[in-house]
This record gives sequence, structure tokens and C-alpha cells, in this order.
Amino acid sequence: MPAEYVVAPVASLPEGTHRVFQVGGREIGVFNVGGHYYALPSNCLHQNGPLCQGAVSGTVEASAETGWKPTWVREGEIVICPWHAMEFDIPTGRCLAEPRRRIPTYKVTVVDSEIRISVP
Amino acid sequence: MSATKASTLEGRAPRKLPQGVKVVDVDVHAHETPTALIPYCDMPWRKCLELISKAPERYLDIPFFAPQMAVWSPPYPQSGGDRRLVVTSASQMRKDLDELGIDIGVVFPDNLLMLATLRDSDYATALACAYNRWLTDEWLAEDNGIKGAIVAPSQNPLVAAAEIRRYAAHKHVAAIYLPSCCVNPLYGHRFYDPIYEAAQETNLPVMLHSVTAIFPVFPFNLDCFSTMFSAHIVSHGLSMVANLLSLMETGVPERYPKLRIGFSESGIGWVPWMMMRMDKEYKERRRELPFLSDLPSTYVRRMFFATQPIEEPENMQQMATILSLFGGETSVMFASDWPHHDFDHPNKVLQIPVSLEIQRNILGGNASRFLNLKENA
Repeated sequence: MPAEYVVAPVASLPEGTHRVFQVGGREIGVFNVGGHYYALPSNCLHQNGPLCQGAVSGTVEASAETGWKPTWVREGEIVICPWHAMEFDIPTGRCLAEPRRRIPTYKVTVVDSEIRISVP
Repeated sequence: MSATKASTLEGRAPRKLPQGVKVVDVDVHAHETPTALIPYCDMPWRKCLELISKAPERYLDIPFFAPQMAVWSPPYPQSGGDRRLVVTSASQMRKDLDELGIDIGVVFPDNLLMLATLRDSDYATALACAYNRWLTDEWLAEDNGIKGAIVAPSQNPLVAAAEIRRYAAHKHVAAIYLPSCCVNPLYGHRFYDPIYEAAQETNLPVMLHSVTAIFPVFPFNLDCFSTMFSAHIVSHGLSMVANLLSLMETGVPERYPKLRIGFSESGIGWVPWMMMRMDKEYKERRRELPFLSDLPSTYVRRMFFATQPIEEPENMQQMATILSLFGGETSVMFASDWPHHDFDHPNKVLQIPVSLEIQRNILGGNASRFLNLKENA
């Protein structure tokens, strides 16, 4: 059974912000991306850096669709590890540099204006 | 419940260090600003430092002092890490190394990584001497596991040799740093013999260490690239390749048989490549290198190599194989490069599936032999 933890009132996590919480012995980052809440472990796949202490940003992509021109995309959806700048997609936990790898995501709910995280 | 951290290292100590191992890190960096060196610098060069220190400082890129000039590729948010990238005091370094699980760290400079780019020999020599005074005075005064590499100004091997002899007896001077970024001529040139003579005589090892800079000398033709991705790979790795070849060309490891030679900040993947290429070539061209009495690989097996930036194959078993190709089990030394953008945490080295004994060697045993560290130093 996943354990559910109340981490903070919604008012403490406005849109575009994120914070790291100690939850059940783990460090978990909680993000408010455009009014949607997401939670990721604050552990980078690369060298176990404190991922969620990093900045949230957009990123650069280029593909045949953009004519191979670098394009700024997904502002506010990417977290960048403060140790070595590895990028992760906040909603899915997908690693941008190693697309076959991802970190887990935790279920976030809001009950009575409080943010809750389910940790397996 | 909110986790507010003083540093991004807090709570990130190594997970499973072998018991009783003393972790030695052969490459950490002190931040020597132009201002910090002013009181240690002779005239007239002190005047120059006073002028240079008035300009706003850019990280590892200071005109007239650390002319990296690698500002031709655009920066992105947080590229280079979103954290403190400098260590300005020995006490800060001690605290950081404690958080990384490192017992002994060997200090190298930040800005003087570019010392060999400076063309004025007297000026470069004065900066090196000022740095050595500053290092021994402000960083190596305590018995706290902070060791230092004194810098040998490549522009002036006679002064470099004098500096080596001056500091050799210092309790915490553990190595000689050879600035390798853009050095010209390369380190095999007989011009540098006084440095190797002094190093061998004083039993201090030499450590080659490069950095990225735009300068039109071999193998730094970085104008060919548009990204730091390429430039950074070439500037460190090929600098070590070029200088290793140069050292072999004049038989430095044969002529100075007790000299310990180390290579830093290029990982280890290049070593078997070079070793095999040299042996292949030597069989045909031995007459060009009559100083050598055996295959080049014989000498490479006596040299030392720092791990950082460690290769990270998906299957870390491949790293154990790479080690076995050049006897790296007894010559590879852990290095973190803390606090630079591409530092390695000890955990990464611990992921290489090797025996406990080899793990101990890489984490500290090999470095202790390289640096000639005494017990409880």
C-alpha cells in the first residue's frame, strides 16, 4: 500500500515554483507546472545529485519539423540537476539525454487545499 | 518538512565505501583570484594584478590572467551546474571534502590552469611563484588532509626547478603541477629537463593537467568546433595524448626512471588506445626513439592516471575491462575535480565492478604511492 503524506498547503507552492520535501525518509521535489502538481525523487540518475534542488526551465530541441533549427520549447516543464545539468521532463520523469531512462513519478492529489503525495 | 540545504552536497555522502579506506582525491581546485595573489606577487607584476583585479571576474576566463577565450558558444540556463563552482578557502574545501567522503585532497589552481597560455615569461613566472606562496601560506598550513601541487611555470623551467626544490620539504606539498593547456613546446622537449631533474631529485611526482582554452597551438585547434561539447573533449584528452607522445619522443621516462608521471582530467579511456598505437608504431620506428629500452607500453604501465571525468558506459563492467587493458588496477587514482562543473562523486568510481582490493587501490592506495603519502599524513 502506498503511504500518503501531506506535504504543504497549496498556497505555499504557487504556479511556476517547486520545493523539496523530506517524505518518508526520502527527498522528493514537488512542482507546480501551470497549475498541475508533479512529484519526483530528488535523485539524479547520473551521479545521484540532488536533482530537485535544480532550476526549472524550458529547453532546446531541433528536428526535421523545425527544419533542424534550435527551438525553445516546454518552458517550465524541465528540471535541471544542479550538479551536472542533466535535464528531466517533470511530468513524466523522462531523462532528456538518455530517453530510454526515467526516474519514478509520484501521485499528487489536493485535498482540502493541501498537497498530498503517494509514495510506494 | 521542507528541506533547506546549505550546499548541494549535503546528505550525499558515498553510499558504500569499503571499510577503513582512506579516500585520496588527486584533483580539487582552489580559487585564486587576481586579488588574492596581489600580496604574494613581486613587483612590477603586482601592479598588473592590481589593474586586472579591478575588472569584474568571469569564471575561469580573466583577460591577462586566465585567457580562456572560450566564449564563442552560446550559454543555456544552468549549463555548467547551478551551484557554487569555486572554493575560496581551505576550511571551505575541508567541509566540502567531508561531505563528499574524501579524506585527502590535492589542491590545484583554477585560473592558473591557463598559465601556459601567457606569453610573457617573466610575468607568468611571477604569477606561478605568487601562487605557490599563497598556496603554502593559506591552504597548506594545517594538518587537515589538504595537500597541494605547486605549479611549475612552463615558460621558465629553471625557476620551476628552483620552486620545486624550495617547497619539496614542505609537509603538505605532494606534487608538481605541469600546466598543460596550450603548452608550447610540449612537455617532452629537453627545455623542460630541469623540471624533471628537480622532481626526480626531490621525489615529488609531476601531474599534467589541462583545461579548455582557445589558443592557436597544437592540439588546441578549437576554432574547428562550434560547441563546448567538442572543444571540451578535445582540449583535455588530446592535450594528454600529445604530451604523453612528446614525453616518449625524448625518452623522459627512461632518462628519469624514478620520476612519477600522472595525467589528470582526461578520464582513462584514452590510455589503452595510446598504448597500443605507440607499441604498433614503435616496432617500425624504434630508431627514432633510441632512448627507450622497451616497448612504450612498458613505460605507460609505470605512469598514473586520474579518473575524472570518468567514463560512464551503461554497463560499468566495461570500465573494469578498460582498467585491465593497461594495468590501471595499480595506476588509476580517484579524482573528483571538485568544485568544477563536471566533478565526479566517489559513488561513480564505486560503481566499477572490481574486487575490494582494486577498489581500495583506486580510491586511495595508488594515489598514496604516487604522492608518497606517509601514514596519517
